[in-house]
Amino acid sequence: MRITDLLSRDRILLGQTVADKAEAIDRMVELQAKSGNIRDKEAYKKAILAREEMSSTAVEAGIAVPHAKSETVAAPSLCAMTLKNGIDYGAVDGPSDLFFMIAAPMDGDLHLEILSHLMVLLMNPQFLTELRQAKDEKEFLSIIDRYETEKYGPAPKTEPKQGGYRILAVTACPTGIAHTYMAAEALEKAGKELGISIKVETNGSGGVKNKLTQKEIEQADGIIIAADKNVETARFAGKKVLFVPVSDGIHKANQLIETIEKGNVPVYQHQNTKEEEVLAVGEQKESFGRQIYKHLMNGVSHMLPFVIGGGILIAIAFLLDDYSIDPSNFGMNTPLASFFKMVGGVAFDFMLPVLAGYIAYSIADRPGLAVGFVGGYLAKVGNSFTNITGEGAISGGFLAALLAGFVAGYLVLGIKKLADKLPESMEGIKPVLIYPLFGVLFIGIIMYAINPAMAAINTSIVNLLNSMGGSSKILLGCIVAGMMSIDMGGPFNKAAYVFGTASIASGNYDVMAAVMIGGMIPPLAVALATTFFKKKFTEEERKSGVANYIMGLCFITEGVIPYAAADPLRVIPSCVLGSAVAGGLSMMFGCTLRAPHGGIFVFPVVGNVLGYLIALAAGSLVGMLMLGLLKKNLPQK
Amino acid sequence: MVSAKVTVINPMGLHMRPAQLFIKEVTPFGCDVTIRFNGKDINGKSIMNLMAACIKQGSEIEIQCSGENEQECLKAAVALVEAGLGE
Repeated sequence: MRITDLLSRDRILLGQTVADKAEAIDRMVELQAKSGNIRDKEAYKKAILAREEMSSTAVEAGIAVPHAKSETVAAPSLCAMTLKNGIDYGAVDGPSDLFFMIAAPMDGDLHLEILSHLMVLLMNPQFLTELRQAKDEKEFLSIIDRYETEKYGPAPKTEPKQGGYRILAVTACPTGIAHTYMAAEALEKAGKELGISIKVETNGSGGVKNKLTQKEIEQADGIIIAADKNVETARFAGKKVLFVPVSDGIHKANQLIETIEKGNVPVYQHQNTKEEEVLAVGEQKESFGRQIYKHLMNGVSHMLPFVIGGGILIAIAFLLDDYSIDPSNFGMNTPLASFFKMVGGVAFDFMLPVLAGYIAYSIADRPGLAVGFVGGYLAKVGNSFTNITGEGAISGGFLAALLAGFVAGYLVLGIKKLADKLPESMEGIKPVLIYPLFGVLFIGIIMYAINPAMAAINTSIVNLLNSMGGSSKILLGCIVAGMMSIDMGGPFNKAAYVFGTASIASGNYDVMAAVMIGGMIPPLAVALATTFFKKKFTEEERKSGVANYIMGLCFITEGVIPYAAADPLRVIPSCVLGSAVAGGLSMMFGCTLRAPHGGIFVFPVVGNVLGYLIALAAGSLVGMLMLGLLKKNLPQK
Repeated sequence: MVSAKVTVINPMGLHMRPAQLFIKEVTPFGCDVTIRFNGKDINGKSIMNLMAACIKQGSEIEIQCSGENEQECLKAAVALVEAGLGE
């Protein structure tokens, strides 16, 4: 790793005046904390002082190198300070006036590597003279860069020189929009910092990018899989693989790389039949709850494009149609509207079968797909033994499809287990004949049996929502909108969102309105706060603040994640409050939304759009004020 | 001049703390101390030189003492390294 990668301009102070060693340390700890990598300044300072107790970190020639590793250090960082006049730091040969302070995470001994790396450079008296004479921080840094390049060559890129990448990674999050790429970026940054070449494959909503080749896999030391949904894992058989949630990829990238480099990672054994291409679940200590979550997310992430594409087209149909021609056939009165409604409707109709199909696929691999699809479709149409032909059947709705997916998946797993008892020669006809035939047959029987019960549950939920009085509706609005803000793309956000889209399917459009507004508030609140409360945000945060205006208007809540990650206790409650206010107001004004996504672009199809805009403005303002209130002014340079 | 070869056994090699200990140990004797490592001669009384040499665990070094009390100095230095330099 290079000194110039770990040391940045805002962590250099030149020509300072301090009274003694204690003050010097105080000043440097403050400086170090500017990196944002130190979670607990006091704990880090304690570690620094403890090291000084053992023996002074002053070396010779007026240089001192205080250093500490600590649990509270998220990523390695350096800061540097020069004094106008040297102070007694405990060196044998005189006062010290040139300081480099090192912070390293607990794992490993990075601080020692950085120390010896520094020492090599500091041995050169000419280097020291130039450093001490540097006019400003920029010059200080460029002097280091120059000597480093001379000694070690130009900065290594994360591309391999020969012999491939040392570490590979795959990132995947269910929606595939933000977390996937944030984790990839964090891992690449960590690799660069640690000087370890890494290549990251992303499994996002746009498909697989930067796919890992077989050769790269063979040559790698290990693979990190940071995913909340299943990824192709057969190709990693026999290699060291580390399975972690996507959020670890974002927040603990350095630790992951160090763990894999150290080698304390089990070797992945792939288990599956020979024919099948794989989507096996990672073996390592995954709790049942997490497995269920992964299956569910697999279904949801495949379902969403159908819902969004179809839903928006349907909404456009209503926008373009003429109500007066025939109120009961609203949406299909004009040919143009008909087109939109039909196409949108077809896409939307796939919602439940796809959900169930891909949940089952996640559980049981390819054989589960057909069975899940059929189960989901049967849930949609609601056939049961009381109306075998389907006449008068009531849809089991979202819940039925959900259940169908899981039932189908585990059903197929069961059939597979039974089929294991068959002779080897029949191996070939299993996926071709046995699984489809018996799978579809049994899911048919099961769905016919449970549909009435599911239909009853579904109807009662719809009735409950319909019968909710004003105040309970407002409360519901607050809750679902607030949920959108609690984890910005995590489970709460997903649950609220799916509830919103499911409600569209059952005709309750006010829920979706509250849900979408809840998701638009956080980025808008943050953007407003960075504009009007400039002093409370770093330069980087202010820059991305502008982008958040756009993200908020487009209903992309994830733009707020960096702010929430940096300061969760202040950012999240402010956003939740703003969202809840907006959601409650949306319900109060009776705003409805039949489109499942689209942000400001679907405002034309919002019922009572004026009230909606008021709710949006109010929620954003509340969020902005809370942020302004809670956040402290940053120390000014 | 007297010298002896010895292996560094510290898990993290000759980093700052053990290096400081080494210097503290040999300085009172008054002689010159040179460490020969990987074909290079390193000033055994300069902390920066020792740290920059990056002497890791398992490295074999040759300690050379020359001048006043060189015998005693070498004896003490070798004993210290063999004992693990306080780690």
